[in-house]
Order: sequence, then C-alpha cells, then structure tokens
Amino acid sequence: MYQYTDFDEAFVRTRVAQFRGQVERRIDGSLTEDEFKPLRLMNGLYLQLHAYMLRVAIPYGTINPGQMRQLAMIAERWDRGYGHFTTRQNIQFNWPKLKDVPDILDALADVQMHAIQTSGNTIRNVTADHFAGAAADEIEDPRPYAELLRQWSTDHPEFQFLPRKFKIAVTGSPNDRAVTKSHDIGLRMVRNAAGTPGFEVIVGGGLGRTPMIGKVVRDFLPVEDLLPYCEAIVSVWNLLGRRDNKYKARIKITVHEHGIEEISRLVEERFATLKAAFGGADQALLANIRAAFAPPVFAERPTDGFEAARLANPAFAAWADVNLAPHKAPGHAIVTISLKKHGATPGDATADQMRAMADLAERYGYGELRISHEQNVILPHVHKADLPEVYARLRAADLATANVGLVSDIIACPGMDYCALATARSIPIAQEIAERFEALKIEHEVGPLKIKISGCINACGHHHVGHIGILGLDRAGVENYQVTLGGDHTEDAVVGEKTGPGFSADEITGAIERIVFAYLDLREGPEETFLQAYRRVGMQPFKAALYEKDRADAA
Amino acid sequence: MPLDTLPAVRAAALNGRYRHHGATAVLEHALRDPDVGRTALVSSFGAESVVLLHLVSIIDRTTPVLFIDTEMLFAETLVYQQEVAERLHLQDVRVIRADPARKAAIDPDDTLHLRDTDACCDLRKTVPLQTALEDFDSWITGRKRYQGGKRSDLDFFEAEGDLRIKVNPLVHWTTQDLQDYIAENRLPRHPLVAQGYPSIGCAPCTSRVADGEDARAGRWRGTEKDECGIHFVNGKLVRGPLPAAVEMAATDTAPETARDETNGAPAAPETTETVMNVIVTDDGFGPDDWTGGFAAPAEATTQEVGIDLPPDTAPDALETVLDAPLVRIDFPSFSDGRGFTLARLLRLRGYRGRLRAKGHLIADQYAMARRAGFDEVEIDGELAARQPEDQWRARADWQAHDYQSRLRARIPA
Repeated sequence: MYQYTDFDEAFVRTRVAQFRGQVERRIDGSLTEDEFKPLRLMNGLYLQLHAYMLRVAIPYGTINPGQMRQLAMIAERWDRGYGHFTTRQNIQFNWPKLKDVPDILDALADVQMHAIQTSGNTIRNVTADHFAGAAADEIEDPRPYAELLRQWSTDHPEFQFLPRKFKIAVTGSPNDRAVTKSHDIGLRMVRNAAGTPGFEVIVGGGLGRTPMIGKVVRDFLPVEDLLPYCEAIVSVWNLLGRRDNKYKARIKITVHEHGIEEISRLVEERFATLKAAFGGADQALLANIRAAFAPPVFAERPTDGFEAARLANPAFAAWADVNLAPHKAPGHAIVTISLKKHGATPGDATADQMRAMADLAERYGYGELRISHEQNVILPHVHKADLPEVYARLRAADLATANVGLVSDIIACPGMDYCALATARSIPIAQEIAERFEALKIEHEVGPLKIKISGCINACGHHHVGHIGILGLDRAGVENYQVTLGGDHTEDAVVGEKTGPGFSADEITGAIERIVFAYLDLREGPEETFLQAYRRVGMQPFKAALYEKDRADAA
Repeated sequence: MPLDTLPAVRAAALNGRYRHHGATAVLEHALRDPDVGRTALVSSFGAESVVLLHLVSIIDRTTPVLFIDTEMLFAETLVYQQEVAERLHLQDVRVIRADPARKAAIDPDDTLHLRDTDACCDLRKTVPLQTALEDFDSWITGRKRYQGGKRSDLDFFEAEGDLRIKVNPLVHWTTQDLQDYIAENRLPRHPLVAQGYPSIGCAPCTSRVADGEDARAGRWRGTEKDECGIHFVNGKLVRGPLPAAVEMAATDTAPETARDETNGAPAAPETTETVMNVIVTDDGFGPDDWTGGFAAPAEATTQEVGIDLPPDTAPDALETVLDAPLVRIDFPSFSDGRGFTLARLLRLRGYRGRLRAKGHLIADQYAMARRAGFDEVEIDGELAARQPEDQWRARADWQAHDYQSRLRARIPA
C-alpha cells in the first residue's frame, strides 16, 4: 500500500503545527469563534453533544497493522478505550479534550495518518470500494486514483471554503461497492468500446434531507483527465452553488436547479481551460502510486484445512457462508469482520479488538486491513487454509459475529446518544432489532437484507438506500420511526419508498419483524432475496403486513 | 408605558407585574415585554452562567449575548465560551474587549491588576461593557440573592440610574437549584469548577476556594473588593445596586433617547478614528500604495483605474478586465471561497496585472490566496490589530508544502 513520501510527511507535520498555533490563537483572541470553527473542522474536530469529537481519515479505507495499533493507543490514551468506524471510512474518537488534539494529530502523523478535511466545507476523505485490490470482479484497483485525488484535494487553495461539504467515491469494479451514486462525485470504472479502462463520472448524488441519485455527467473519462475534470466540476459549483441556504448548497441541488445538461456544458468548458494547467506531473505521480499498490505475491498452497473445518464445525461454516467473499487469487478469500455483534454499537471497536485485528492482518493477511462503509473491518487477503485459525482468534476477541449482509448487519448513525443534530436514537434501535432476530434464529434463513437507520433527516445512516430504511424523527417530543422499503445502494441505486405512518420506539422492532416475516411468506424460494421479492410484488403486500397489527388492535 | 419613562418607574412597575413569577416567565417577558425594550444578556461564561444561557437559548437564541473578554481570563473560560455557544446554538455572541488604544495608554504591560484592581476592572470590564450596552434598553444578568453581600436584596428588575433596566431572572435561585438544572439538562460545566473554582473571573484575581468558604471568597482574595464595578450608574461606578427610590430622586431629567424612533435601530456608534486599511504581502504589512482609484467594470472610464470585482462575478465577465493594472476581488466573508476560484480563472485566462483580495480574509487564508493567484490582501485596521503582522508572515512560506504545484508541474514529454 501507499507509503508517505517525504513531501507527504512534511506536509502533515506542518499542518499539525499550524493547527496547534490556531488553537493558541483562538485562546489568545486572534481568531474569533466564527473564524476558528472552519479551521477546526477542516482538521477533523467537531463539537458534539457531550464533548469534542475527532474524525480521523482512513483514506479509501486502507490501513496497515501499525496504523491500527496506533488508533488503539490513541483510544486508550486520550479517549475511553474505543473508536467508532463510520460510513465514510473514517474513525471517530468521541471523547478527546481540545488541548490534547494537537498531540493526537502528532501521534497520527507518526503512522502516516491525519484528520485533514474529514469535516468542514471542503472536499472530504475520498472513499473507495473496500474490496479494492482483492475483488474478483475488478477492472483495476481504484485506490491509486483515490490517493491521487487525496493529494489533489488536500489543502486545495480554491476549495477550502466551498458552499458546503463535497464527497467523492471511487470504485474500480462495475459492481458498485462504494455507493458512487450517492456522492457529490461518483467515479465508476468502466471500459470503453476499445477495452480501455476509464471512468463513468456521476455528479450530484446525495442522501441527507433531499435524497438524490447522481446523474452521469460524462460516460467515459480517460483516466489521465481525472484531476482536471474533477477540478472543473468543483470549480463550476464553487461559483454557482448556493450560499444563501445551507440546505440548498450541495451540488445535488445545483444540478437539480440548473439541469444536468447545463452543468455538463459548464463543466466541459471549464475542463478545457483547466486541462492546460496540468503538465504531466500528476501522471508521473500516479505511476509511482500505482507501483505502491502492487498486490502482494499470493501464496499457492492447498486449502484442505478450510474444507475440513467447514465440515467439522457448523459455527465456522455459518460464519464462512456470510463473512467471506470471492478473492481474485486462487486459494484466497476476503474476510469481513463484523463490528455488528448483536446488541453492541454498530461500528465500535475496542482498543483490544483493534490490536487483535492488526495481529491477524500481520500474521495471516499480508499486512492489510480495510474499513468498509458498512462499518465493518475487512481482511482483504487471507489464504483459505488459514481461515479456521483466523476464525478461532476472532472468536477469542469477540469478533466472530456471522452476520455480514444479514438483518443484524445494520448501518446506524450515532443518533441522539452522541449527536447534537439527531432527533431520535439510532443505536438502541439497531441493538434491539439485532437482538430480536438473534433470538428468533432466522437471520441465515432470511439471507441478504440491509437495514439502515438514521436518527434525523440528515441521513448519516443512509436509510434512503437501505432495503429497509428507518428514519427517526421527533414528533412533538416523542421519537417516531418512519420506514422505507426497497432502497438500494449499488450501481442500480434507488431511494426507498415510505410505507406510511411511523412507529414509536416500542413498536419499531415489531414492525421490522412483520416486514421480514411477510418477505418469508412472499418469496418464491430461498434464492429470491428481500430486494428481489420487493421488486416483484411491490409495496402493497408489505404494507398490509406492516399495518395489519394496528388494524387488529383497532378492531 | 413608553420607553422614555424613567427606568426606575418602569422597574417598579415590572417588579409589581412579575412579583409572583418564576425565572422562565420573567425571562420570557424580559425578552418580549415592550416595557423592557431592546435586551442583551451579559454573561461571563463562568461557573453557573450556562443556566441562564440555556434558559435564554430556549426562548430566543438570537438574543444578543455580550461576553466581556478582559484578556485576563482563564484559557478554559475562552474555550468553554465557544463550546457553550455552539452547544446552545447562540446566534449572536458579541465578544467585548477594551479599546486597544486605551489599554495601551493605561496598562501597556498588563500589570495594572497588581497595583489597582478597581482601575483594571474599570479598563477591561466596566467601560467596554458600558459602551457595548449603549445600544440596549435593558440587560439580563445572572446575579442571585444567595450570593450574599450586596446582592442579598436583589429584585427581578432594577433600574440602573436613568440609563436602562437590569433584569435578574435568577434572583431567587439557590446553588442547589442551579446544580439540579445543570444536571437535568445535561449542560456542560466550566472545567475549572471541578478544580475548586465555584466563581470564576479573571485569572490573576481568582483563586481556589476551600471547603466551607463562601463561593465568591476566591474573587479578589485579600481585598475588600467583592464586586467588579460592572454595575454603574450615569457612567459612574457603583458597587452594587442602588435602591430604585434613591435613584429616582437623584435624577429628574428624562434620559436622552439613543434610539432612532422611526425604525427602532440603534444609533450608529461614534467612531473615534478611522484606521487605514493594511496591505499584506510576503513582506508583511504595508500601506496602500495604489493611487489609481477603483471602479466597477462597467464604470471604468480609463485604462489606469483599478477594477473592483464582486464575488458573484460571472466567469465570462473576467474577459473584460484582462488589461486592468489592478483587479481587486471582494471577500464579503472569510467563509465565502468564490474569490479564490475567480482569481485562479483570471490567471488562467492570462491576467498578468496586480491581483488583490479585499475584505474579510484571515491570516490562515493567506497561503490559499497567494496560491490561487493573488499578489496581496487588503484588510481593515481592526483585523490587522487582532491578527498582527507575524500571523500573516507565518504563511509567507506559501510555496512550501503545496500539493498543487507538485501535481501541476510540467514534465517534458
């Protein structure tokens, strides 16, 4: 994976020193509160409900064991012994003290990490397919492009005070695992008629209070035009985007108000101007970055141990069925470590668990880990013969939950337990649903089903694109949970449809249970997934099942 | 009752009206009752301030909150101030400081507090607050009867001479009430409370309080002083409130109205002197040496005049200014980054003249401005005083650590 150059190293160190100075200048009055706030945000420091929150970037979700151990150290030394992995491949520490933050940033810089542009009205951490470099269906590893974008967007002088935040996601596979249609810019690798890889460029997607599916602004972008083209999009939006209303400032609204044709015309025109300003150095750097992402030499040895363990240990078999994905190299698998233990906070990992995962990656995983936007941790390259041992060690670290992609693998935002914006709780709802299905023991029978929960209309839990989406609102001081069905976060992205009136916190778990049982009744067989069944039969039968109980109660 | 009725009369009437009300009702009326007029909350963001701030934020978070930064406060207070303001979404916190010129004249080396605490309070707290309050008919304080001393017989409403009314919604609250309120509403505590400071003022004059001591015992310890003198009448310091009746007898002229009756807006504050704008370059601060004047693009009559561009200039309009000797792009707010893109586009279209950013840019943006193509930044005297030359020169190294120049370099094919 990519190692910092001397340039990157010096940049990050200088940036920490600058932030240290900014904290001091806030305290001595040189910077007003208003002036300090964006500077703090562009260094990842938020003010949350109870305390400051530091959001650390894990660019394109790739992290090595040494970095993971450093996160564990930070969690123990300056926080409460755990960290929270987010839906945008970041890790958040929820309890740092302001005075410690520069020291934490220094500790991150020691392992080539930073918190730069993880918040504020800037280009945020660039996210990528969490199976990058390992997936069997990949055209190219997207991470070199993501790293190039990271360098380009970092401290970009034009784009530190944008109308609003700006998020870019890249996938190297036509099967979109990076939610590209829900980003301000989504880059999906495709091949043109000549077979050359390039990007389909999608612009103006987003969730939040106005969910929009991104629109294609360029069918095929040669990879060497990546930076000037992205720069053209952001440059057009920086002048055109609304600054009068923060809820209308995102590029999705600009695209909606001006139309994709007009935006496309402006972007192509600006691109022509900007392309001339790139003199080839970016492509030379890209070549170096590509070399850094060269895949490891995968071991060739028998996988007998794996097959034997499958037959001997049903728990291992159940875990292997859902937590493994096909790897491009023979004899290998991609392991997803679930951070969704039934009843635990989705995405949380303790310092000990971080170290356990780091050890596993070092010993069995070619020294690589990934963080997924589904708030799980991935060991992208594990030889199948090692899987029984990996599983045993995960069990010992309480990390062997076998629920990836299932009902209890829930994405949830922090909700009212941590977030100042939230209008309802998310985590306790996620915990209750997971525990209910664990008790029912039907998770594996139900199969792939994505539940996503947001605690307010800002939609950090991506509820719009959950197969089942749950949105917590405040209705006259009482939490009320709205349900959407049929959302999809993949390359076929669809925003889910609302079922009808919402449910109280006491009723929501039962409501989800009725939907799932309705699916089991409706499906044509175990091969038909929830989403397929929903697309076949539509909302009506689910709605009937969902509100049936209410009618029975009323009768 | 018209606002030009004597404050003492209005205060007496208000006390009658709200005698049986609680803090919230008093506060709600203080913010809405026309007899109270334009109101500001004055807060030290001290040990218990968060209670009143929270009460006010619930009723109307746009209420002006005046925070006096004596520049002698604990760092913890400044950080806490920001934290609380954000948590409660206070929309209009105004940080009040002493006039720099006056401070330079009276207390150049910040040692006045060692010689004369009253004079120091006067310079850093009383006078700046009095000036800030000129725009208001009343102000809300967090003083309580239990604090004792001169506060034992406080009322909800007090007349402050003939100047304005002082509202004390928490007069009847006890320490326990405050503690309960903070706990029940999960409000953040001032970090120094846990370290033994139940009452927090300026760092040099606040000390820890031992168990069993009065909460305010740590303020100006070892002196007779127990009030800062922030409570003043007719521009004279008054240590503690005056009984309304005394004040009524002493004043028989109606207060000069500071209001513009037609729109209720405060009269424009008098400016004592006009400070010249400062031009920032890599060499630091300098005077403006441009003598050619400025005009909007449509109004430029000669080739020699500088062109002023607003931030909403359309990219195509940049073509018309490519021959100007100087172009000045306006930044209405430092958080509005349009000017950076305009500068860059101008340079990409071949503009070679002098390019200046003007308005609210902060020192931390100097490198961005230079990298985007600006030659210099024009800031006003207030900002130059607050962010002195060294803070700008710290970023004169803008060519170092620049990803952009690294990515754009021309590589011979």
